[in-house]
Amino acid sequence: MSQVVATRTGTRKGAGPRPYKSRVGSLKSLLPLLPFLAFVGYFLVFPLVFIVRDAFLGNDGKFTLDNFVECFKGVYGHSFYVSIRLSMISALIGAVAGSLIAGAIVKTGSRTRKAIAATASVLANTGGVPLAFMFMAAFGTEGLVTKSLKALGWNLYAGSFTMFSATGIILVYCFFQIPLMVLIYSPALENVKPELREANDSLGGTRFSYFTRIAVPLLFPAFLSTSLLLFANSFSAYATARAMTAGTLPLMPLLIGNLVDGNVVANQEHLGHAMAVSMIGVSIIVMGIYLAVLRFSKVRS
Amino acid sequence: MKRKLNYVNYLVLLVASAFFIFPIIAAAEFSLRANGATTHNFSNFQWAIQQDGFKTNLGVSFRLAILTAVAVLVLMVPTIVYLHLGGARWKRLIEFICLVPLVVPVISFALGVATAFPVFLQSTVYELSFLYVIISMPYTYRALDVGLSSIPLLTLVEASRASGASMRQTLLFVIVPTIRSAVNGAIFLAVALSLGEFTLAVILHWDTFPTWIANISQGHILAAIALSVLSLVGAWLVVLVFAILPKSFRTNKTQEAAA
Amino acid sequence: MILATTALAAMPANAAVNASTAPNMSAFGGMAKLIKAAQKEGTLNLIATPRDWADYGDAMDIMTNVFGIKIVSDNPDGSSAQEIEAIKTTKNMAKMPDVVDIGLPFVSTAAGLFANYKVRNWIDIPKAWKDPNGNWYGAYTGTMALCYDASVTPAPTSIASLDNLAYKNMFAIQGDPTAAQQALISVFAVAVAKGGSVKNIQPGIDFFHKLKSKGIFVPVVANATSFASGSFKINLGWDYNASGFIAQAASIGKTVKCIYPSDANVAGTPYVLAINKTAPHPAAARLWEELMFSEVNGKLASEFTAADKALPLDKQFAMAMGGQNTYVMGGATPITNVQMIRKGTKTTPAKAVSVPSKLPKSVLPTLAQQATATDLLKTAWPKI
Repeated sequence: MSQVVATRTGTRKGAGPRPYKSRVGSLKSLLPLLPFLAFVGYFLVFPLVFIVRDAFLGNDGKFTLDNFVECFKGVYGHSFYVSIRLSMISALIGAVAGSLIAGAIVKTGSRTRKAIAATASVLANTGGVPLAFMFMAAFGTEGLVTKSLKALGWNLYAGSFTMFSATGIILVYCFFQIPLMVLIYSPALENVKPELREANDSLGGTRFSYFTRIAVPLLFPAFLSTSLLLFANSFSAYATARAMTAGTLPLMPLLIGNLVDGNVVANQEHLGHAMAVSMIGVSIIVMGIYLAVLRFSKVRS
Repeated sequence: MKRKLNYVNYLVLLVASAFFIFPIIAAAEFSLRANGATTHNFSNFQWAIQQDGFKTNLGVSFRLAILTAVAVLVLMVPTIVYLHLGGARWKRLIEFICLVPLVVPVISFALGVATAFPVFLQSTVYELSFLYVIISMPYTYRALDVGLSSIPLLTLVEASRASGASMRQTLLFVIVPTIRSAVNGAIFLAVALSLGEFTLAVILHWDTFPTWIANISQGHILAAIALSVLSLVGAWLVVLVFAILPKSFRTNKTQEAAA
Repeated sequence: MILATTALAAMPANAAVNASTAPNMSAFGGMAKLIKAAQKEGTLNLIATPRDWADYGDAMDIMTNVFGIKIVSDNPDGSSAQEIEAIKTTKNMAKMPDVVDIGLPFVSTAAGLFANYKVRNWIDIPKAWKDPNGNWYGAYTGTMALCYDASVTPAPTSIASLDNLAYKNMFAIQGDPTAAQQALISVFAVAVAKGGSVKNIQPGIDFFHKLKSKGIFVPVVANATSFASGSFKINLGWDYNASGFIAQAASIGKTVKCIYPSDANVAGTPYVLAINKTAPHPAAARLWEELMFSEVNGKLASEFTAADKALPLDKQFAMAMGGQNTYVMGGATPITNVQMIRKGTKTTPAKAVSVPSKLPKSVLPTLAQQATATDLLKTAWPKI
């Protein structure tokens, strides 16, 4: 299959990279990946095998598909929609805001950029109760920002605004989604050569044509792949939503937590594992869509 | 590549800074409250640092972070470079594999680990490092992938090989320095993750800095807040120092190799 | 010859007794021998046992400072599910939990994991809350209490009175009712207050819906952290968590008052203590159980003098504040409550929660009723 490779002077459709002369069967090209696959096989796949196997067992230890049937009914089925919708919105907002910020940061000096990358990596890993607390302390009913805004005459809570809703969660998620976008997407922006803009200008193009004809098609794959990461990040986020919604928002990770890690529901771990397997299933589908969009965009450009 | 920031850039940066700084300031203000919230001082931090186990558990988390960072470097960089060269046909599979740790809820993964791993592996705290490599994989993969996609990799490799360098030398002295910012991003993410990871450590019954914080803050709400602020600021300082360290020895070696 | 055999018979029993299968204290040869065996093991592994939950802290201090047994407290905020999981996945490891404190619904998931052991005052435990073979038994229960920030006006006195816009953005419960026991029983309490019962929680769900639409109910988990940030000011929770909550609030400069609501007197099913069958420290585990079910109204660890500590071990045990009484100090209702009141061994309960002049009859939802309610809440709660 043809691979599009980005090089200094534009894109080239070729029959594959040349330096590695691997004309021998496909399996030989797998060889250099063996250390990675072995590592992943043991530390990731092995534990997952137990989860997957467990998803097909009933409480009596016998094989059954009941767990998966149960997965798609009632509140569990509804949670697919709630989780996917929230994650898509969170990914979109994070990606757009993140790329705007990255666009600004890329213009600063090398040391500043490194410092911001370091900061972004720490912010991208915040979550759970500490993050919930920070937001409540800032934007809650008695929060620092709320009180300051009240002094300026704007009562945030006059209407029905609340942080403990899907909207509030999306807002809080931005705190780690945006830095993640900035951190991972910036290198793509950094490597957009100024020569491209010069070429655009010298051929009589405008800023608009630079964006639509050069920058966007060039950056689209990186933008999309990082957005996919943001989606998955939000999809599986657990501790923050748990602290801030008290079960009123049926997200998939929360329901799984209730089933396998709760204080009320017992003897339903198999359903929880079936839900976890379903989450992997959803990611397969989303990734399939992502790859299709990518291929479509490459064909067009 | 230093271009001038325009007013839109400044506005964006201003709004972004406010969004990120206010929650941290709010939490920090709390952590400085003392004496039944009548004064502000560092007593909560002092109390927390003096607690039994602060140094030990911090040390554990540090060692885990370093081991994770090294393992990520050694495992991920050559693999992803290869995927961008001869192994392109496997890219989609590996990309999917690297996304799985993010999509599986940590609690389910932790339960799988607790059930699957043999006793000898579960008897060392360093099992967590390997698991941290796995759960940081989605981020480190994407960081390195985006970085590699945006450089003229083939040209560099061809040029380097044509100059007589081996693949190993090419990797170490040509490719890695060129994707320096992506490698940094990946390392920072892995380190920050290791220093703050909680669920796996708790389910596998290990004492790391985050679990120690949870234990010690029972009944001491201000100390709990102080410790979470301390972790955030501390992790930030650690990663920052590494980020703006003077140019590494690698640059010198590149010059030697070129000579 | 006869003297020699008699001497042999009088040798310490711990050489011969297998602590892992000892069914009661006499198998060890008495309290002093049990304590000695536990001291030899030196450590007790606890899990999901916070210090300020029903005053476990005082009991842990007695174990450590009086009997010299180090306590390793794993995952204090853990759930019952995690405790059972821990036993299942840490076989042959030193970090295996010795005893667990789990919610009653989880006993059914632990088939074959626990050891049979009957504590000294086994008969004082009501039949309804113990396994006939001593596999597990309830230790304490709690009743729903309403706690509020003293600055709230008007001060709430009942659950029904929460329907007041002055309480906008103030009322919360301890999380998701399908995940947290406290939250589940809170829903029962609200149901009872609004004309429902332990068999019918729909009025409770309807009231939550009403409060949420008015902005009074906030779906935040009502713990010390969210209280500190001001995200809620009124909450329903166990009475035995009241004193801990009041102390935490004081440390950040806020005053909290707790009352039993005048329109609902709902208790929860007891939390259950059980010994791990393959506990790494079986004697220490059994000593802990003896301590937690001891009804002695005695001294706390800090009150033991040097002279006290020189006394024989069984005398020290007889002087130490029993676990059933540390539960009382924490504000919980000990499982042996009836017997303790009858014998007059109950210590002064914590005064954290004020009792209104008229309190309705106490009700307790059974396991079956809780299961029905949970199933209903799974679909109904996200819609409130």
